[in-house]
Amino acid sequence: MFIGPHRRPLGVAVFLLTAALMAWPAAAQTKGAAPKDPETVEMVSKSNAECLGCHTQEALKKPPRPDMDLAKLGEALTDPGLYDASAHAGMACKTCHVGGYREYPHAAPAGAPPAGAPPANAPKIAKAETLQCDECHAQLTFRIDAQVEKSVHSKNLKDAFTCSTCHDPHVYKTAAKLVEPVKIVAQDNGMCLDCHDNDVRFAKFGGTLTPKKARPDIDAIHMWLPNAKRHWESVRCIECHTPPATTRQLAVSHEVLNKEKAERNCVTCHTQNTALRTRLYRYTAETQAQQAGFLNSALLGNAYVIGATRNTYLDLLGLGLIGLTIAGVGGHAAIRILGALVRRGRKQ
Amino acid sequence: MSHRIYLLPPWIRIWHWTNALLIITLTITGASVHFADPNLPMVPFELATQIHNIAGLALTAAYVFFVVANIVSGNWWQYVPKPQGFLTRCLRQMRFYAWGIFRGEPHPYPPTPEANFNALQQIVYWFVMYILMPLLLVTGLVFLWPEFAPKSVFGMDGLLPVAVLHYLVGLVIVAFMVAHIYLGTTGHTVTSLFRMMVTGWHEG
Repeated sequence: MFIGPHRRPLGVAVFLLTAALMAWPAAAQTKGAAPKDPETVEMVSKSNAECLGCHTQEALKKPPRPDMDLAKLGEALTDPGLYDASAHAGMACKTCHVGGYREYPHAAPAGAPPAGAPPANAPKIAKAETLQCDECHAQLTFRIDAQVEKSVHSKNLKDAFTCSTCHDPHVYKTAAKLVEPVKIVAQDNGMCLDCHDNDVRFAKFGGTLTPKKARPDIDAIHMWLPNAKRHWESVRCIECHTPPATTRQLAVSHEVLNKEKAERNCVTCHTQNTALRTRLYRYTAETQAQQAGFLNSALLGNAYVIGATRNTYLDLLGLGLIGLTIAGVGGHAAIRILGALVRRGRKQ
Repeated sequence: MSHRIYLLPPWIRIWHWTNALLIITLTITGASVHFADPNLPMVPFELATQIHNIAGLALTAAYVFFVVANIVSGNWWQYVPKPQGFLTRCLRQMRFYAWGIFRGEPHPYPPTPEANFNALQQIVYWFVMYILMPLLLVTGLVFLWPEFAPKSVFGMDGLLPVAVLHYLVGLVIVAFMVAHIYLGTTGHTVTSLFRMMVTGWHEG
């Protein structure tokens, strides 16, 4: 990702940053945050409407211009509905898509070969660039960077694996925004299954490796897991495929583990001190600690997790019932033995 | 011993010990899963789950066999509490366990081929075998195939009432098992009823 191995020279970064700041209305925004004041919101909306005039499925069907490269456009579409619900909702497209993206036709991205030799006296056009995530999320990516580098994805795919390979910035919502575990699970597992349950997309990455890596059957490699489908509906792949987070700021590690290193100890989740409390349920667990005697009652709205959501009152009742039964038969046996001894004594 | 009577055909004895072995296995593995804790000395969760699932299915098969064999052989009649003088027989039996047994009195209703069980056994066995066991097995099967559980109950996962019922019924059956094993020592001698469950011959 856009982290360590991708760092561009400082001069380029400064240039891009300057270009981004110059791109009105993006410049009117606080970097990394959607605008709040009505005037800027209106300007962002108008600016984005220009972009979405071409970059939507509808526009692809009815191209607004006759000279467009539709194949290329087809690879750069956005769903406005999903974008407006995403973590980046309200932000101007040109906050991240800078330089040549302000004009049409967009200039070739930096490093791409020119389509034709421009005349010597042609005005210089800034190259079209999409800013890396760390331009805004520097603090976060600083922490995540080291974890990503250790992940199975980075080890195998090197620089071909970036933030947006998993986190589509036009769609992705943060867990803190989603809050509800069922929504977090659906989004996050969807990111994994986009490749790991899709031969075409998996081949795009696995096919570049030497030797080529074929997509393992996701059901077959999870045969050991009881009710695998139920697990996938209730928890994220990363509950097992990442090590415990080391900082509170990051609920999950970005060190994605392969199947050999992934969690196989069921009791990590299936116990009173379930790891789910600090992972998937970190946004709800603290507000719903224990209700009606149920441990980790925050989990109960979505799943009964054996070992983790047992009821302490019923457990006491159970132990009491078994204890009393054992004490009862023990006492009865003791009196019987005593009676037998007394009778034997009388006979003698 | 004074006399012996042949009470239990092989199928009852084989079913009984199969059932006993499975219930003990399910109790240990069930407790290991329910009270799962890395600091407690219990069967590892993954292994306990696998054993519990297999033993649960085997218990279901054994129960189906028990019901069918009871119908075919007519043994089901033994479990039906006979109304005439039922309360009196229950009270006499309770008095025996609470008092007479300590004084060495004889059993008030010794078993016969026609009436294998005393009145208390009839009512308890009937309740355990025809009410609790089906409840335990059905909730266990829903646990195994949770797609059959309701999606949600009062805003909580639909498996919750299934899990609670399975746990409670399991508890009562474990308590019954403890008492049942103990009452096995109340025969003509401490071991005579256990021998009967192996040989089929009751010693009186």
